[in-house]
Amino acid sequence: MWSLAHIANEIHQWLNNTFNPTWTLIIEMVLAGVAVIGLFAALGLVLVLMERRVAAWIQIRLGPNRVGPLGLLQSMADTLKLIVKEGLTPDGADKVMFNIAPFIAMIVAMLLMAPIAFAKDFQLWDLNIGVLYVTAVSSIMVISILMAGWSSNNKYSLMGAMRSGAQIVSYELSAGLSIMTIIVLTGSLQVSDIIQAQSNGWWIFKGHLPVWISFIIFIIAVTAETNRAPFDLAEAESELTAGFHTEYSGMKFALFFLAEYINVFIVCAIGATLFLGGWMPLHFGSNNAFNNAMDYIPSSVWFFGKTFFLIFLIMWFRWTFPRLRIDQLLNLEWKYLLPISMFNLLLATAMAILGWHF
Amino acid sequence: MFLTDYIKDVTGALKSLATGMKRTLYYFTHHKEIITEQYPDNRATLVMADRFKGEVVMPHDEKNEHRCTGCTACELACPNGTIKVVTKFDITPEGKKKKAIDKLVYHLELCTMCNLCVQACPSDAIKMAQTFEHSVFDRSKLTKILNNPGSKIMEGVE
Amino acid sequence: MMNGSTILFYTLAALTLTCGVLSIATRHIFRAAIYLLFSLIGIAGIYFWLSYEFIAAVQIVVYVGGIVVLIIFSIFLTHQAGEKLPKQQLNRGIWAMLAVFCGFALTMVQVLQHPFPSGDGLHPVTVRQIGEKMLSTTDGGYALPFEIISMLLLAAMVGCIVIALRSKPETT
Repeated sequence: MWSLAHIANEIHQWLNNTFNPTWTLIIEMVLAGVAVIGLFAALGLVLVLMERRVAAWIQIRLGPNRVGPLGLLQSMADTLKLIVKEGLTPDGADKVMFNIAPFIAMIVAMLLMAPIAFAKDFQLWDLNIGVLYVTAVSSIMVISILMAGWSSNNKYSLMGAMRSGAQIVSYELSAGLSIMTIIVLTGSLQVSDIIQAQSNGWWIFKGHLPVWISFIIFIIAVTAETNRAPFDLAEAESELTAGFHTEYSGMKFALFFLAEYINVFIVCAIGATLFLGGWMPLHFGSNNAFNNAMDYIPSSVWFFGKTFFLIFLIMWFRWTFPRLRIDQLLNLEWKYLLPISMFNLLLATAMAILGWHF
Repeated sequence: MFLTDYIKDVTGALKSLATGMKRTLYYFTHHKEIITEQYPDNRATLVMADRFKGEVVMPHDEKNEHRCTGCTACELACPNGTIKVVTKFDITPEGKKKKAIDKLVYHLELCTMCNLCVQACPSDAIKMAQTFEHSVFDRSKLTKILNNPGSKIMEGVE
Repeated sequence: MMNGSTILFYTLAALTLTCGVLSIATRHIFRAAIYLLFSLIGIAGIYFWLSYEFIAAVQIVVYVGGIVVLIIFSIFLTHQAGEKLPKQQLNRGIWAMLAVFCGFALTMVQVLQHPFPSGDGLHPVTVRQIGEKMLSTTDGGYALPFEIISMLLLAAMVGCIVIALRSKPETT
């Protein structure tokens, strides 16, 4: 069997036979770190190009098509440009905070990678509070934005940071409640349990109305939490130039930029895990021929396929809808999403108790 | 009822969002409608719109004759002094003096392509061309003389 | 004898203590809030180290995601928050240090007098156990305190709404 879990096991065996357990652990940690950083770089390159292509096609344009064949090397060229640019620190800035902030954004994004199951039995840390861990750690994200906005000593940055803080703190609620719907149905916070519970059908298929509602609310809330249009008030370029990262340039800006895309990937991965079955292949009842054909596709392909589908959905939102005003944004959360998701949670609980789902 | 209004609000919002997303999905999947002009590559086939105005030119016919009488109507019509008409006096075959243009100086760097000079011209001597690649390395190259050297006025144009 | 686990513990403890000291020593109020945040994250790290993941996650959600963000917001909304605070008078510092020392001594006395039973390994507590304990009405259940706290929060929320709903007096 040729799968990621198999490769990981082989490496583990080989390391165990060659070194003593402590060194094995250290080397495995280093390998995991390198793998995560490599994934970050690859995701950054792919997602930036994908975003620009999707944007162009939606706006009936061509998009990047000059650098490399079909413009595939465009994001490489962008990276090169950002690396050689000067990383400027403004004179009036709080220098320590200013320079730490992008790294905090990056570290948080890295920590969030831990409980995500990329393929069957392939996960960095299957801790028993998986989903809660993600919601908890992602709330540190707002701190990096507040730090960046404050320490830049710039009114636009400060306003962007305040908007972003208000936005993330409020949308965390409905994102959390829509995740709760799935947790109520599954009865566990552990990522592997949630995926296992979907072996006979993804929650979006067997969960009926409450899961559909919570899926819609989840997508809206995470779009807001990752500060993407139509909720990109934190960096609204027409009002605040670039919001909290106005003063950042070069690699420090690139870290913020990368962290945004990594966060999009992570929330989409969580969405795919909760609602679309993670790495679970698509199965239809007792149609065995079809099910076997689906099983033949590797689980990592399923996972990345679903995640990229959700990423496409979020990009599609971004290039379709106009930006909201701050009062509209908070109205949407507190008057619509929060009451609906609370009611929806009650509905899902009733459904779970009565066993109405398949 | 408050609750029915609320539900109507939500469904209406979702419906209008779906309408917008349907439109962008249509564009996303229909690459044939792409309107981007890949400019330096398609110079040979580039089609300009009729209304596009690039610079003022003075057409000459094959005998190197133009239609400008030197009446300075264009110079007077120009809002920002782009055109300067320098006149001279020709001696006609009958021995009379006749006013004609020596140079029609045109400052492309000042021109706003407002078309007022073309409208003001009584003898249709100047018109708007559709060229647009005006970049040069020296500003003085943008000051042009519109009549060709050695050109003279066409027969019968007063 | 230092193994990886001990090193990790001392690193986390050092992070917590250093950031705690820095947060009272710095003269920038915003930096104080950020150091407080790192100190709280260090404590969450110690919970993770003890493999009480649920408590660690709640620590981050409540303190980092909630309270520190609120503190930072109130700093943003005050005037002259970017300026350095004036240097404290010496006698105030001495009294504060004395108070800290008394608190520290009291805690240490308690800790040293308490006979810690030698542990027989880790007891991982699952979220399911915590949830059941939280809502059980039998002996040792926490249903009553849980409900009382929810009543308190409900009252606070109703109060907020009443304050927010109060119509503004006509000014013209």
